[in-house]
Amino acid sequence: MPKVFNWQINREMEYPYEAAPPKQQFAAVFDTNKCIACQTCSMICKNAWTSGRGQEYMLWNNVESKPYGGYPQQWDMQALSLLGPQTWEGNAYSGKTLIEAAMTGTDGRPVVGYTPDSMEWANPNLGEDEAAGLIETGTFFGMPHPVWSFYLQRVCNHCSYPACLASCPRKAIYKRQEDGIVLVDQERCRGYRECVRSCPFKKMMYNITTRVSEKCIACYPRVEQGLQPYCTVGCIGRIRVNGWIHAPQEADLENPVDFLVHGRKVALALYPQFGLMNNIYYVPPIHVPAGYLRQMFGPGVERAIEAYRRAKDDPEMLGVFMLMGATERWIEKFRVIGDDAIGYDAKGDEIARVPLKEPVHIRPNYDSSRLVFRHNTP
Amino acid sequence: MQRLALLKRLPLLVVVGLSLSLALQGKALAQQGPQLTSVAQSKLLTDPMDAAWQKVPAADVPLTPQAGVKPALMATSVSSVKVRSVNDGASIAFLLEWQDGSEDRYASRPESFRDAAAIQFPTTGELPAICMGVRGQMVNIWHWKADWQTDIDKGFQDVPDAYPNFYKDAYPAVNVLTGTPPFRMPKDFESPEAKQFMVGWTVGNALSEPVRTSPIEDLNAIGFSTATHKAKQNVNGKGVWKDGVWRVVYTRALKVDDVDAAALTAGQEVPVAFAVWNGSNQEVGARKQTSTFLNVTVQAAGGAAALQLSPALLGGLILLLIVAGIIAFRMVEGRSRQTS
Repeated sequence: MPKVFNWQINREMEYPYEAAPPKQQFAAVFDTNKCIACQTCSMICKNAWTSGRGQEYMLWNNVESKPYGGYPQQWDMQALSLLGPQTWEGNAYSGKTLIEAAMTGTDGRPVVGYTPDSMEWANPNLGEDEAAGLIETGTFFGMPHPVWSFYLQRVCNHCSYPACLASCPRKAIYKRQEDGIVLVDQERCRGYRECVRSCPFKKMMYNITTRVSEKCIACYPRVEQGLQPYCTVGCIGRIRVNGWIHAPQEADLENPVDFLVHGRKVALALYPQFGLMNNIYYVPPIHVPAGYLRQMFGPGVERAIEAYRRAKDDPEMLGVFMLMGATERWIEKFRVIGDDAIGYDAKGDEIARVPLKEPVHIRPNYDSSRLVFRHNTP
Repeated sequence: MQRLALLKRLPLLVVVGLSLSLALQGKALAQQGPQLTSVAQSKLLTDPMDAAWQKVPAADVPLTPQAGVKPALMATSVSSVKVRSVNDGASIAFLLEWQDGSEDRYASRPESFRDAAAIQFPTTGELPAICMGVRGQMVNIWHWKADWQTDIDKGFQDVPDAYPNFYKDAYPAVNVLTGTPPFRMPKDFESPEAKQFMVGWTVGNALSEPVRTSPIEDLNAIGFSTATHKAKQNVNGKGVWKDGVWRVVYTRALKVDDVDAAALTAGQEVPVAFAVWNGSNQEVGARKQTSTFLNVTVQAAGGAAALQLSPALLGGLILLLIVAGIIAFRMVEGRSRQTS
């Protein structure tokens, strides 16, 4: 089996195909700290792409409460327990990836995985807002809070080494050269569902009416027009930004995604130990125990949280976070000039300008024109 | 002296023998395992439950798991398939019977995988080097699917069939004046605007076609991952599951105007292979059990099968006869020279 390099786990790993990096790679950063699980991203995606017959159960984008929520149910716990022990030595992953673990498996499958059933797909928000422990009387008068939960926003990771593509006996899944978006050829697919089984994130879904598999298409018709995907632009919490990701040695620090991932190292891939080099990056939630986060985001998570806590004193980082949701357009580069963060398109034209700090207006307690007092009304 | 002459010709004999054996190698490969005859009779049997099938001699064909490429099947869940065949001079019918305790008729839930079975023929007259054919040695596959059979028997298996309590009151571009929620495929979804959400159907993927005309898909392949729905679909049939046994009949006209279809000529031997998928074991695609190639002798109508020779065998025999003739002639010539 060919060897490919995965810089998320800092080592070479096995993959059934030679590395064939696209010209540029679709990526995004999601700030988990700002999400309120309003599901607007889920709804905008649903309306755009999955309102058809056979797609009723599908949410190409979903938001789940951690630690207990999951769509499909317990996808993460099931994938992790199938993979077995996962060990890191410093920044290098010393355990097995999903493909490496399958090499010693006896079931003849190319990737370790499982096929969720209807019931697991049927309750996409089971576990919503459930905290990680019992809340005793008086618990919330102390800080930090001993119980926690947070929201995880999930779309297809458009992995650099996709498990779905690795397992498709039909060769119906491909990674686009122009932007690294992973798609299922709807003419070639024969509904074998090896991809559904292999994708640990369970973002490959079987259409029960057309009997072939479908997945998040990264809104490629929008990306082709220089627009960010619907889930990003629909986000009312402004937690998302899309961009092109590069390998660390090729990072362009004027590119918002490279800046957050490589420059400030504040955003991390979800379960890098799966060995897929996934391309959706998360700013980890700052209030969640480190042990849980280390398993979820790898060994860089404490440093990421430290960096995030410094954002208020870091104009450039603040600049990128302020540019999230500030434009529908694809931000190729950004700069901070004075008190403004500015986003530019591929031609270098300004497409967004936002203040680093939103202005604060202080209004008097008594409104003499309306003859009323203002009570806590922002 | 005579012995010496024969010895001198030994290399020639070896060459002849070798070429003959090479010519026969394909045949020999195909002759491993059970022999199968497509019995000529006046009535073609198209119903898998027809009692007349019991009078047709059966071949028990052993199956082994496809473990050559991943995703592989590591152990068989169906160890053999019983095959019978008849033809009426115009059409041929095969009956495949195999034990399967679970009747997996649906593929309309994310976790439901259907049973299936296939018959494969080389299209080029020679046996392909590997099981699904190779470039230049295309195969023709007749793939029966239990979910397609259900679509034909009970109507297209739509969402309300998979989930009886399902309800949805609206879909984009689906007319609520002409359709009643939760609607039916395909009639309520045929407008281009409604259909665009069903991409497999829109792009013409045969798997997504809601109007089935046959439970059997007629395919060509030139290797793994290349199974291709034929533009011309020649095969029909029917599958019935009863008491733990699937019985599936495949029928096709013996003569079809299609160069990519299996050549099935009355009076000839044709290599054939079989495969079975057990849906409840998630057997789909490459995860299957297959037989090796064996021969089916397509009996010519109007009597017992005539002695039929393949071109390779015939060529080999002619060559052998010529060489033997030459040797005999030389031997006679030598003897007459000695006596004179």
